[in-house]
Amino acid sequence: MTGARLHVLVVFACGCLLAVGTARAQGSTEGPSLRRHRVALSGGLAWTGGYPIGDAAADLRGNGVGSSAPPFTLFRADSSIDGATGVEARVGYSLTRHLSIELGLAYAEPGITTALSQDAEASPIELEAERLAQYVIDVGAVWQLPRPIVGRMRPFVTGGAGYLRQLYDERTLVETGRVYYLGGGARYWLRGGHGQRRSLGLRGDVRATWRQEGVDFEGKTRTWPSVSLMMFWEP
Amino acid sequence: MRRLVAFAMVALMGLAQPAPALAYLKFGFRIGDRTVDVKWASAPVRYFVNERDIPGVTATEFGAAVGRAAATWQAVPGTTLGFAFQGFTNAPPTGMDGRNTLGFLERPDLDRVLGATSLLLDAATGALIEADIFFNTRFQWSVAPQGEAGRVDLESVVLHELGHFVGLGHSAIGETERTATGGRRVLGSGAVMFPIALPAGSVADRVLQADDAAAVMDLYAADADRGDTGSIRGRVVKNGRGVYGAHVVGFHPATGALVGGFTLSADGEFVVAGLEPGPYILRVEPLDDADVESFLSGDVDVDFNVTYAPRMMVAPRGGSSGAVEIQVEPK
Repeated sequence: MTGARLHVLVVFACGCLLAVGTARAQGSTEGPSLRRHRVALSGGLAWTGGYPIGDAAADLRGNGVGSSAPPFTLFRADSSIDGATGVEARVGYSLTRHLSIELGLAYAEPGITTALSQDAEASPIELEAERLAQYVIDVGAVWQLPRPIVGRMRPFVTGGAGYLRQLYDERTLVETGRVYYLGGGARYWLRGGHGQRRSLGLRGDVRATWRQEGVDFEGKTRTWPSVSLMMFWEP
Repeated sequence: MRRLVAFAMVALMGLAQPAPALAYLKFGFRIGDRTVDVKWASAPVRYFVNERDIPGVTATEFGAAVGRAAATWQAVPGTTLGFAFQGFTNAPPTGMDGRNTLGFLERPDLDRVLGATSLLLDAATGALIEADIFFNTRFQWSVAPQGEAGRVDLESVVLHELGHFVGLGHSAIGETERTATGGRRVLGSGAVMFPIALPAGSVADRVLQADDAAAVMDLYAADADRGDTGSIRGRVVKNGRGVYGAHVVGFHPATGALVGGFTLSADGEFVVAGLEPGPYILRVEPLDDADVESFLSGDVDVDFNVTYAPRMMVAPRGGSSGAVEIQVEPK
């Protein structure tokens, strides 16, 4: 090997090392991310918290005279929807490396618990839970923060709106409503995340969900927390 | 018939009995081996008002009160019920004269009866032919818009008696207590058709309650609206045997509506119908808030404690819930 050729090889090797060093430096700054214009699939378990759905009084008209006569309360019923663990699946499409839109479907079977009280002729009791089949279909946006939390984990914030469908135990009656949510979470890449195909990882979400209509005895907007842990895969 | 303290079922010129209940009691008539509803076959039902004035109420005011009460029943959505005022008459509100007449009558012997309805029906079909209502002049009446202290509100009692006039029996949604004189005092009332009146001066019974609406829907629902309501069925059991005469009240927490039904057979089965679709809490109670005869004949079991169904039951639109068994304990 001549001295001139050796010189060329050393220069090439230095150039390669420089290129690798630059790539690592960029990776440590931005961390892994979804690929632009790609679909990502997620699926896993979701826990939704409980919330009250109404404190109702079974009132009779009292024996007072006049429009302000107080009612006679036969009993009171205080109802709530219990927390429940269900399943969730999401399909996302990344508009950029940081922003994606998602379509989600969640299913759970929370129970309605009702506590009865203030009955002059019966002791307070709690009724057996009435089971609901609950579906939520939502559309949302996920924005991945520019910097990783640590290593291969990147945080994101999310928000969206959806359709709520709740069926009573015997599936003979349906209540529908709307949900809105805001939250955040993080993705952790087990594989890929730097432009490769077939990325795989874990995703955790924490959300606050607002619900309008649906099963509710007071017609109020309700809020509940939810936590989900899913696997994601980017083909 | 509506009494201030003690009560009995409306007088019927026939052998009426409670029909298998949907909503609350309605009058039934036995033809062969089946019980048919006692009701008007066509609408509007034509009526006359007696021309007699009484202290505090002119015939014109009386006719206006009847018109308002009739309009209240007619206003129940989805029913075919209708009334048509035919004018004033000097005919008394009694007897069979081919006219439906409402009027005052002196009945000092009935010291606790505000008014009563008599019905004449076709024994072949159960259809109503004639009905009369009298209001007892023994009491002081009022038609004041806001009511008058110490006077019985005429429109409220007309509304109750018109319920009988169209074939409804008594509702048992109410709570009472015994008085020192052996009568009963209302603590709370959940239906215009509860057999014991609210105190004199009250005008609260001018407004139909959910139980009243469910009952008239059961008898006179327009065909197109029959599928809009649901029912809940089940069985009340004590010591393994059915309970006859238990009162089952469905409470809809979303609307506050209370609608009642009864177990009308020895096996303790019940149906509460005419319900707005939704979940209901079922409360079973003995018929101990009025004379049992105000509601049912036969060996009514009142020896059990108030009990709730173990879970909420759902009344589906146009259908019935699955059956629920409610176990009650003897007192």
